[in-house]
Amino acid sequence: MKKILAVLAMMTLPIVAHATVRVVTTLPDLADFARQIGGDKVTVDHIVRGDQNPHFVEVKPSYMMKLKSADVFLMIGMELEMWAPQIIDGSRNARLDVVNLSKSIHKLEVPDKVDASQGDVHRYGNPHYWLDPRNIRAIVNEIVASLIKSSPADEQFFRTNAEAFLKKLDTKITEWEDAMRPLKGAKLITFHKSWSYFAAWLGLDVVDQVEPKPGIQPSPGHTAQLIQKVRAGNIKAIVVEPFYDASAPQQIARSTSATVLRLPTSVGGVDEARDYISMMDYNIRTLVEALK
Amino acid sequence: MLRHAICAGALLALVFVSGNAQTSLNPDISVIPRFIIDSHDGERLADGVREFSRPDFRFQELELVVSSYLNPFSRADVVLAMHSHNGDHVDFSLEEAYATVFRGLPLDLNVRLGKYRVDFGKINMMHPHQWAFVTQPLSQERFFGDEGLNDLGLSVSTLLPTGNIYTKLTFDLLRGTSIGEATGIEDTTEAKPTYATSGRVMSFFTLTDYSDLETGISMYTGIHDPYNRDRFWYWNFDFKYKYKPDMYTSLTLQGEYLFNTRKGRQDREFNQFVDDAGNPERRSIKTSGMYIFADYQFLKTYSVGARFDWSQSPYDDDDKARAIAVFFGYYPVEETLGLRLQYQNTRTDIAGVSQSVNSIALQVLFSLGPHKAHPF
Repeated sequence: MKKILAVLAMMTLPIVAHATVRVVTTLPDLADFARQIGGDKVTVDHIVRGDQNPHFVEVKPSYMMKLKSADVFLMIGMELEMWAPQIIDGSRNARLDVVNLSKSIHKLEVPDKVDASQGDVHRYGNPHYWLDPRNIRAIVNEIVASLIKSSPADEQFFRTNAEAFLKKLDTKITEWEDAMRPLKGAKLITFHKSWSYFAAWLGLDVVDQVEPKPGIQPSPGHTAQLIQKVRAGNIKAIVVEPFYDASAPQQIARSTSATVLRLPTSVGGVDEARDYISMMDYNIRTLVEALK
Repeated sequence: MLRHAICAGALLALVFVSGNAQTSLNPDISVIPRFIIDSHDGERLADGVREFSRPDFRFQELELVVSSYLNPFSRADVVLAMHSHNGDHVDFSLEEAYATVFRGLPLDLNVRLGKYRVDFGKINMMHPHQWAFVTQPLSQERFFGDEGLNDLGLSVSTLLPTGNIYTKLTFDLLRGTSIGEATGIEDTTEAKPTYATSGRVMSFFTLTDYSDLETGISMYTGIHDPYNRDRFWYWNFDFKYKYKPDMYTSLTLQGEYLFNTRKGRQDREFNQFVDDAGNPERRSIKTSGMYIFADYQFLKTYSVGARFDWSQSPYDDDDKARAIAVFFGYYPVEETLGLRLQYQNTRTDIAGVSQSVNSIALQVLFSLGPHKAHPF
């Protein structure tokens, strides 16, 4: 009997040893952080593609399948992913740990009034906080806590990986700040209010958006006003995410000396954005080139 | 009268709650009215005159949708509807009111209880404001009536173990009243209670990063003649394919084929079936219906498409109709405001007598309140 039990115990050992935390994230950037922290003790999948607008995602049963067997679901929060509750409910997963990563973020542009006349405003503030790399430490800490909750035995492994990643990120932050320091105060037009945290970090001046209101398509009248603003302010760059139609920004660029820059807000938005650090490398490099 | 008073009271209560108790426990409330201007050339066909009627501008329907979580495991949805009949009379109805337990049950079960649109086929679960077109497909109208398959019942669904492919099996036990509206037998007070059952199995396939396919098979059976206890069976095959390469463009192809078998002793007008000798007989009837449409969305705010319908009557394979519709949609700012223009030609063929009617309709709809992401 003892021999049988010993054999059974040995058979289960490899399973225990290779038990992994199944993580699903909304954005591919969060998937990158989870991989950096979790290493081979996590499996990571994400829902939104880097070339996809995270505000508008169709509720597909395949996303519910991803969450059905997941342990942890990481999301940006602040109502960026308005579609997420339907996917969470559709997954039928009662033990899913849903982690809103915005809890300890200092939020920008929290509106006094929220109604549809303001466009697609988010009542908890601008949710694009992951584009300020100084906020990644708070995100990483939340991810570490959620992974430890799912796999307490691997606490030290997760903490060590997180510290190594944050150390690497701190070095890059210094490098990015040094590269952008001469451009402090430079004026930009952006398509959507995705770059508020990024601009606040680097001291850039976002003069206006191509969208007349958040989420509202560019209008001819507003585009004409922007052309005047770009000429008057000698604005050199119009920043557009890869998933937006660039016709209105191109029209502004043709009438002025500004350049349209396609900058990704997520990993995979352009080929060069293989992970968060390479995405920020690409964005900083492109901006320096355009604004110098 | 009592029903109107109850519905009006419910509306007032909702307005009061939403205006006076601004807490996070408030349910989500949406209001979606639809209006229509339409004209057709079939009004005087019996006199041999084909001319378009005076365009009629009328209120079509208003849906008041209230939904909220009940607790961490369940939620409730209520849809109250105000309908217009010929533009001058409006009445209230409880379109849906159901609670869903979506989490915490064994075997990945999901349980729904109340009055709801039954998970049968693809279009039955969609409210009219979610359609790309203005008119209801003929097969759904003929086999289920204006409201589709909407009944009081209990629904249980589970996810089947098919690897990474989402496959859902749903079973419904229904009161069985929805079919009465489609067959004309509305007064069933003297008959024994009838129950109906419905089932659906659907699978969802991710073809590429930009395209998906959903297929389903549904079944619905019940008593269509409660006095004679005659049974019917509906079998339905559906598919939906969507290609969406970016946030501004998409192509949707969707179709359904419904096959009906039933035993019957009378036709739609309650004329008894008789054999050659003039004796009453019980006939076996097999009829079917289908629709297919394509809808192409471009520049985010526009859509254009076409639909083909063909359907027999549930009671008579010699009573046929087909329709061809082309439609155009314009949603100037998101989906909170929409305009749909549709031309439709409908040809009916009853026992060899054909009639063709052309119709043009412009529908206006808007949506107040929170707008959930659309399911595939």
